[in-house]
Amino acid sequence: MASVNAQIKRGSAELAVLTLLAEHPLHGYEIAKRIEAQTGGVLRFDMASLYPMLHRLERKSWVKAEWRTLPNGRRRRCYRLTASGRKQIAPLRAQWRAFFQALESVTGFQNA
Amino acid sequence: MPDWKLIVRKNLSVLVVCSPEFGEELATHLEDNYEALLCEGLPPEAAFQHTIGQIEGRCRFWLVMRCLREDLMTRFIHEVALPGLLTSAASCFFYWALALDNIRPKVNWLVGGQFHILPLWWWCLLPICGALGAVLSRRNGGSRLKRIAASLFPSAIMGTLVLLIFVAGFTISGLANHYQLVFTRLESLGLVPPGFVVIPAVFSLLGAGIAEVSTKKFGRRV
Repeated sequence: MASVNAQIKRGSAELAVLTLLAEHPLHGYEIAKRIEAQTGGVLRFDMASLYPMLHRLERKSWVKAEWRTLPNGRRRRCYRLTASGRKQIAPLRAQWRAFFQALESVTGFQNA
Repeated sequence: MPDWKLIVRKNLSVLVVCSPEFGEELATHLEDNYEALLCEGLPPEAAFQHTIGQIEGRCRFWLVMRCLREDLMTRFIHEVALPGLLTSAASCFFYWALALDNIRPKVNWLVGGQFHILPLWWWCLLPICGALGAVLSRRNGGSRLKRIAASLFPSAIMGTLVLLIFVAGFTISGLANHYQLVFTRLESLGLVPPGFVVIPAVFSLLGAGIAEVSTKKFGRRV
């Protein structure tokens, strides 16, 4: 069960990050804050989860990171989605949709 | 304003092995977090304690462990282990091919009154394996040290094996007081490590060196 749990966490985080980056490039802190804000604090990424995942996505060439100077003069490592990463979003969404439908059919959690 | 780069460097010095930029990236995260807490109205001391808590104690442990697992292990697998295993497979293939009947160019050598077989032609083919390991590691972004490690992988495997056999054999024989067996193993050690570990390592390194020089000379990434 622990491995399934870890995989679910990992998969959901990847989809959330890729979806956010599909809009525009963001740096690590922005990604964490936006996910937290958009989910009402249900999903939170600490540094230990976020950065290893971002680096994993970078190694897969789904995202590309580069240092940018922000309007306030500060340098931040911003991540942007690559063409390869963009292609991953639809299959990942389909997988999650199938997962939730399967879960719903067993637990009926939607009607609970 | 606390110097977050310095704090990260002190608290997470081990992460430098992952990437020199990584520490800087974490420092920017902490800086943003600290400022956001100040904007929320927290006093500086509380904001500092809250922020630094992300790289202390259990958080620090998990951060280091996950980063090492993701970055270091993955890179080690891609840049050393996989090229090294392919190099080992090529080395085994050459040894197997040469051991076939009719293509068995080995040299017998007299050591300590006994004849031993030296796989001379196998050694001559090992620079190809060494070069292969170095080239594959380079393709995956391996540093010079990792390229050397990948080319020496077969010798490292053989060395570990010989060492294990020797230690296990010596321990068992020693316990059973079979001094003759221990003596024989000691004598055989005089040939086995040079023949299957040290000399192959030298030939593999030669191949890695040739690959390195030719890559630089022709100015292209193989």
